Amino acid sequence: MTPQLAVETEHLGRVYRTREKKNGPKTLLALDDVNLEVARGELFGLLGPNGAGKTTLIKILTTLLSPTSGTARVAGFDVSREAQKVRPLINMVSGGESSGYGMLTVRENLWMFAQFYGISSREANHRIGELLDELHMADRIQTKSYQLSTGLRQKMNIIRGFLTDPDVLFLDEPTLGLDVGASRDVRAFIRRWMKSDERRSLLLTTHYMMEADELCDRVAIINDGRVLACDTPANLKQQFRGEVIYRLETTPVDGVGAGAIRSVPGVRRVTHQEADGRSTLELALMEEPVIARVIAAMEASGIGLLSLKKQELTLEDVFVRLVGKSMEEMELVHDPANP
Amino acid sequence: MIPRIHKDTGWRLFVRTVMGRAYSRAVGYQRQLSRLAIEVGLPLVALMAYIFVYRAIGGSQDLIGYVILGGAMSWFWVNVIWSMASQFFWERQIGNLALYIIAPGSMMAILLGMALGGMVLAAVRAGLIIVLGSLLFHISYAVSSVPLLILVFFLTMAALYAMGMMSASLFLLFGREARYFIDVAQEPVYLISGTYFPLRSLNAWIAGVASLIPLTLGLDALRQIVFARSAALGFLSPKIESAILLGLALIFLAAARRSLGYMERLAVAEGKLTEHRA
Amino acid sequence: MLRTYWSSLRTATWLGWQVEANWTKPILFALYTVARPLALTGILVMLYATVTRGDFSSPMFAYMYVGNAFYTYVGAIMTGMSFAVIDDRERYHTLRSVYVAPVDIRWYMAGRGTARFLTDSAAVVIMLLIGIAFLHLPVHFTTIHWPLLLATFAIGLAALAMLGLMVSSLALLLPDSAWSFGEGVAAALYLFSGAIFPIQVLPRVLRPVGFAIPLTYWLELLRRSLLVSAPGSPTLTTLGNLKLLGIFVVLTAVLSAAALGTFRWCDRAARERGMIDRITNH
Repeated sequence: MTPQLAVETEHLGRVYRTREKKNGPKTLLALDDVNLEVARGELFGLLGPNGAGKTTLIKILTTLLSPTSGTARVAGFDVSREAQKVRPLINMVSGGESSGYGMLTVRENLWMFAQFYGISSREANHRIGELLDELHMADRIQTKSYQLSTGLRQKMNIIRGFLTDPDVLFLDEPTLGLDVGASRDVRAFIRRWMKSDERRSLLLTTHYMMEADELCDRVAIINDGRVLACDTPANLKQQFRGEVIYRLETTPVDGVGAGAIRSVPGVRRVTHQEADGRSTLELALMEEPVIARVIAAMEASGIGLLSLKKQELTLEDVFVRLVGKSMEEMELVHDPANP
Repeated sequence: MIPRIHKDTGWRLFVRTVMGRAYSRAVGYQRQLSRLAIEVGLPLVALMAYIFVYRAIGGSQDLIGYVILGGAMSWFWVNVIWSMASQFFWERQIGNLALYIIAPGSMMAILLGMALGGMVLAAVRAGLIIVLGSLLFHISYAVSSVPLLILVFFLTMAALYAMGMMSASLFLLFGREARYFIDVAQEPVYLISGTYFPLRSLNAWIAGVASLIPLTLGLDALRQIVFARSAALGFLSPKIESAILLGLALIFLAAARRSLGYMERLAVAEGKLTEHRA
Repeated sequence: MLRTYWSSLRTATWLGWQVEANWTKPILFALYTVARPLALTGILVMLYATVTRGDFSSPMFAYMYVGNAFYTYVGAIMTGMSFAVIDDRERYHTLRSVYVAPVDIRWYMAGRGTARFLTDSAAVVIMLLIGIAFLHLPVHFTTIHWPLLLATFAIGLAALAMLGLMVSSLALLLPDSAWSFGEGVAAALYLFSGAIFPIQVLPRVLRPVGFAIPLTYWLELLRRSLLVSAPGSPTLTTLGNLKLLGIFVVLTAVLSAAALGTFRWCDRAARERGMIDRITNH
């Protein structure tokens, strides 16, 4: 029976226990009550800052780590109890990988990994040639892998993931370390790969919002081990489009003027910044016609309007709405070098 | 519908995995002749120091032969501890271990591939040390039985590499300390296994305990077979030592299978398969 | 400039200590530090006992034992300094960061060697004490020639540091073979320096190599300063202590010039070939 779901998690949790000499054992809640479903044929994105739990989730789904609570199934098989049945159906690529052996050529490294999946040498070499062509690396087939740049090495790793024709492919920050052109090649390739066979499913983690927006059928936003939202990018943006956001540049606004704007019915939120003798206002309005009343209130308060722009919502905005901070601000908080 | 790739399963997958993993050692590693020169030349120079000590104190020519054979066989021990026992530690460092685990090919096959590839690699080096050392120091051999010699050699390899496979799973749980444990497993083992002197020179109890390391009895048996006057310096007869080596090979192989499964489960539970602890 | 040297040396010594020592409990670390040198000594003792049936009172045994004990420093400093390059490049990927920083890379390497020197000193002392207590080593504290011992030791450290610099410079250019290079060079010097047998035992054609190495004179002087009756090498016994010391100083100076030149050349070549951050994944 072919499973309808590529990935399914129920109340999935993972706690790490660390031993510290000074302060005794510590626990780290990496995943907390994660419930996800990825349908067959779906390209699913997992979006979140560093330390959110994305990689922990990938490790559990790829049978590298066992959950401490809940269950996870991949292609219909339990990752803890039926790991041997999961493995022939999956593959994984991580960003910044340095796998393989430096003294082997690109072809040899890829051939070796193909052997671990039971692929004949003839088939493996044929597919290696095809994939290297698709990712514009055909001229590097005989290059020893220690001679590759970081970007080319990552491309080789990506090819390794696709080479074994998995039912479910896990890509953990796959474009990390790639330049703009290479990233574009990889994203285009991912799209073609998904389109060419509807049985294929792909779970992609990234903290590049644009990448998730462009590629994914659905996206889950994860932070501090919890899934905060899960839907198509369009629906996620639509949810928060309950507000209409305008960005205004005006002459300097004092407290009275700001108060006048805030008191306009239909204005939900006003953020105000001063710089270079101008004010920048970001307004969240209940509905579009409110902007006319805001402009009238500004005129009445003697505030001059210099420019007006309506903000289209991005996934970043969705993230900020959910978490209260931007991705960059989150990573600064998690950064041990930045107390 | 696009046809899916055919993927072997069962014993065919096992064999492919073994061959795939053996390839990088047997072929890739050998690519640099400079590396071969250093890995043969420098150990040979180290052996010469012991040979000249024997000469300085009036040691016999057979004892010099012991040093050369011991030095050659020690290459297999080095290969077992660095490239077998601790290999998963290095593989984890570079990120390959996770990829091996998630692949359908079994870890036993990966280990066996490592063993075969490592054996080829070590055999080339050991062979060159024996040839060059024997030529330089005019060592003559008097092989009493070629079939016994081949049997002892292969039993020693089987037992040594089975020990390496068993130890490999233990290293899944180690961090940085792995490298230091391996360091300590060289010279102390050479001492208790009589790598450069007759095993009989050691106290019988020490020799007995050291016999758990396949290098000990393997080397002692090989010496008795290839050197004319060595029977008197042997610890046990080559036939008894062969039987013990066979027993060790079977025990280590069985232990490797069990410990690998157990350690993998433990490593998955504790998340140690992908840690990069420097 | 002196401040840079000192800062490089001090930081690298601290780092070397952290890398070498903070992986386990102190007692295990202590055992680890002495295990290898003691095993090497044990091998030599067994070699000797096999032929002479345990006649440890012979001058030849004292010659071999003292030479081997102090030779521990050679391996320690060779590998300590060369591993500063190998480990930092291959395993920790930090060599490029060290190169880019305003440190003197030579003093950085020396600092890493210093850490190994300090940790292995315990092994040397223990070996000597075991020799004195159990193996009839003729060392009496009242007969030690302290000025000669201290002078020899100090100059010897400089010679070892220069040798280590040469080895670690070459390691910059040998990423694939570098792991065994330091130990291999130490093994080669073990053969030629008369550490465990008189140079006369070597074939005639190889003896000049031994006489050209500063370590030969270092070990000879250490034996003379420590042992009640130093057996010595037949050739070197014709030279008095001062003459021997003079030859040692001159050879150390020549070695230093060669080492500094080797470093300069290897450093430039490594930068030209992009070897500073070459990772092989072997």
